Amino acid sequence: MTPVVNTPAIARRRSRGGKLLRAMRRAPGPTLCALVIFALLIYAFVVPLFSLNPFEFSGMSVLDSFIPPAWMADGSPDFPLGTDDQGRNLITAMAYGMRTSIIVGFLSVTIGLVLGGSLGLIAGFVGGKVDAFIMRVADVQLAYPALLLAMIIDGAARAVLGAERSVGTAIAIVVMSIGIAFWVQYARTIRSSVMIERDQDYVSAARITGRSNLSIIVLHILPNVMAPVLVIATINLGIAIITEATLSFLGIGIPVTSPSLGTLIRNGNNFLQSGEWWISVWPCLTLVLFVVSVNILGDHLRDVYNPRLRGRS
Amino acid sequence: MITSTAPLLDVRELTVTINREGGLVTALDKVSFSINPGEVLGIVGESGAGKSITGAAIIDLLVPPLKRTGGTITLAGTRLDQLSPKAMRSVRGGRIGFVFQDPMTSLNPVITIGQQLCDTIQAHLKLSGSQAKKKALDWLDRVGLPNPDVQFKRYPHQLSGGMRQRMVIALALCADPMLVIADEPTTALDVSVQAHILELLRDLHRESNVSMMLITHDLGVIAKMADRVAVLYAGRVAEISPVGELFNAPKHPYTRGLIRATPMPSATGEMRLDQIPGAMPGLGAVPPGCAFNPRCFKAQSDCRATIPPLYHAESSAFSCFHPLERVTA
Amino acid sequence: MLNYAASRIVQTLIVLLVISFIAFLLVANIGDPLAALLSADATVNERLELIAKLGLDQPLWTRFLHFIGNMLQGDFGFSYRTQDPVANLIAERLPATVELAFVSLLITIAVGVPAGIYCGVHPNSLFGRFIMLISTAGITLPNFVVGILLIAVFSVQLGLLPSFGRGTVVDLGFWKTGLLSVSGWRAILLPAATLSTFQVAFIIRMLRTQLMEVGQSEHIRFARARGLSEARIWYVYAIKNTLLPVITMLGLQLGNIIAFSVVTENVFAWPGLGSLFLQSIQGADIPVIAIYLIFVGLVFMVINLVVELLYPLIDARVLRRQS
Repeated sequence: MTPVVNTPAIARRRSRGGKLLRAMRRAPGPTLCALVIFALLIYAFVVPLFSLNPFEFSGMSVLDSFIPPAWMADGSPDFPLGTDDQGRNLITAMAYGMRTSIIVGFLSVTIGLVLGGSLGLIAGFVGGKVDAFIMRVADVQLAYPALLLAMIIDGAARAVLGAERSVGTAIAIVVMSIGIAFWVQYARTIRSSVMIERDQDYVSAARITGRSNLSIIVLHILPNVMAPVLVIATINLGIAIITEATLSFLGIGIPVTSPSLGTLIRNGNNFLQSGEWWISVWPCLTLVLFVVSVNILGDHLRDVYNPRLRGRS
Repeated sequence: MITSTAPLLDVRELTVTINREGGLVTALDKVSFSINPGEVLGIVGESGAGKSITGAAIIDLLVPPLKRTGGTITLAGTRLDQLSPKAMRSVRGGRIGFVFQDPMTSLNPVITIGQQLCDTIQAHLKLSGSQAKKKALDWLDRVGLPNPDVQFKRYPHQLSGGMRQRMVIALALCADPMLVIADEPTTALDVSVQAHILELLRDLHRESNVSMMLITHDLGVIAKMADRVAVLYAGRVAEISPVGELFNAPKHPYTRGLIRATPMPSATGEMRLDQIPGAMPGLGAVPPGCAFNPRCFKAQSDCRATIPPLYHAESSAFSCFHPLERVTA
Repeated sequence: MLNYAASRIVQTLIVLLVISFIAFLLVANIGDPLAALLSADATVNERLELIAKLGLDQPLWTRFLHFIGNMLQGDFGFSYRTQDPVANLIAERLPATVELAFVSLLITIAVGVPAGIYCGVHPNSLFGRFIMLISTAGITLPNFVVGILLIAVFSVQLGLLPSFGRGTVVDLGFWKTGLLSVSGWRAILLPAATLSTFQVAFIIRMLRTQLMEVGQSEHIRFARARGLSEARIWYVYAIKNTLLPVITMLGLQLGNIIAFSVVTENVFAWPGLGSLFLQSIQGADIPVIAIYLIFVGLVFMVINLVVELLYPLIDARVLRRQS
């Protein structure tokens, strides 16, 4: 009579949740960063609910253009951070820009996660030649910096889709480019976790009871390999947002009609030399603030979930 | 034992503490012993008794959070515990040589053997480059490495474990120190090699009459090499005796237990092995009074009340209120 | 040693072949060379001529062989955007980027290495912590932000350094250099500083971690037990152990330099390969993109190969592990 194996997967998941709360209380810096991220998320998603999109509706007046921030000589309290070349209130413009940046960032990370995760699961679970092939491809891809790959994929997609592109298509191209450029890390992490887990007793037990491979992977193995992957995803979110900002800054990312922070910086750069620094500096600072917070939080999570340190805490 | 010459190394009340969350824990508790010129003192005890810490404390090479917090260390009249870091540096290697335990990790992998020797020699002796090289080659020969000129240019990983340990010994002695501290010099080696290394140490000791502090947990090594022996237990000195006396007439109950716990054939040829019941207390878990009292068959109320001081008898010293009578072990 | 070198070289060639094939597939399948290279009123004969010349009527594998063969002879195809030979475009832009990378490497070594060593030897000092703080900024700030900030401070506010162009360029025939004129050096300073920011921050952190780790090792403890001076212990005994990982990482960072040069060249209007690449992406100029892909792969692989062949000279243990 085969002994019933107590699936540790569910038990492990529960204890991880409690650990998370305790860990956050112990670390003031990363918790502060989490708050900053939360505040910026609210800014990016709530402000647009209360104001018209300055990039779609022309409620602005060109007379309002190039107004400096409120504390400067020609500033006005109506426009606390100043206006851009089209007279848009920078606070509103940045909120919309930030929203686009965050959405694109999350989508890219999701694509990378799904793509890398699937390939990693397959490679780890199936092993053999399939595994070798996937890892070989990963190695060749790693020779190239992700930014470059994103650019190349972006360029190739543009060539294929031609000059007439909607904003939706442009966003899709950017998201796919970044996702494909970054799948490798997810794949590797999941693969090694899967290779450890597939030899565990509970997997053998599940096999004996007749479960299909797919359900074993999804129900049993997946929950146990998610933690390190989520940590990577958090760190990668910052990188994804910066990559998108760079692509947009170079003019091959999100178009001006529905800009991200990168596009705003690109636009503002034109006026840097003539002294209207605020148009590009505010988006710069917001971008940096968000990404730095994400990085610090991600670093902290990585330390907390480091399997080597797990035993000690 | 009344010595006409002053001891070379005189350690008195050496105390080392470790800083842990929750407070200070004593690792070495008022350890006192001395080494006479030309003698080999064995420091013996179980793992965790504080032997290695003693060696490291003498040359001020304790790894934090360990810290030397009390006692005096005198080497040929100089107070080592009062020296500036710079002065201490010239003592290390120059007047006290240190042989590390694990030859696989103690040698810098990316610098040639010859270079490491010359650096050590030139750090302490005022010799020119070529003179230092000659001395280095000389030492390679003395420790038994074949083809010294070839070895001079080699890297540590190109040598076997035994050869590396010879190299370590050469490095410890090449600046002609007056005292050598050897911390478990053979423990990390293959059994077949251990005897050779011990022989080497003994030969070098005889040739140059350098004093030696031999730290080990192996009573067999002690029997072969030491003139006198200090037994450590839970960070304190249990007994100090000449080696013959230690084995034949130990004073401290722990010492006898230690000797009996070493597997050896009895008179009839059977293997005798008597374990001491219980275990040595870990850091911070030392019981009040004599550290050995919970395991001691002779323990009485005074043993539990006060820490027995180190009592100097004619030829030996021991810290026990109720030492063993003169009976063969 | 020869076995090790031979196997590494063979592996490199195989990877380069794979990359070339992917680049070739891009060229073969994306975009319309006829539309790009011919004017709208080209005759049927001209079309047929071009098809024959480009070998468009041949099977895939033959075309690939021609592709490789052409490349080895220096023929990289024609740009869809300008109709010029790609080889010419690259030759024109190469010196600017190479000089930029060179100066940025100089800055990385001159600034990053001493700072990193200082941080490793004195990790808890005030200056050490300050350096680490700056390095955190250098790692997280996006490249173009650094460029913009540098321009804002040094060009716009202080007016010390130019924010675009290469300055006065001296023509040496095959190579147009900006390093032989004062204005050339002034012009290259800000872009090179921007490009090196990430590298400097990275090498500081790397050296610090490596030195702190080595500092704990048993052989350093033994060196101390022998009474060697602190200077010798750190600057010879410890640092030699960090050389291998640091050189490896610098080699790997090369890819990042190439990627960031695209951004830096854009911010500073620097006429190098990076801007060429950017223009080709904006203009869907597939042949240039493909050649750039191979070029980047080639540079990366060759540098990696050189680094790997240098390993045994720095650390003799490597050869032993191979056998």
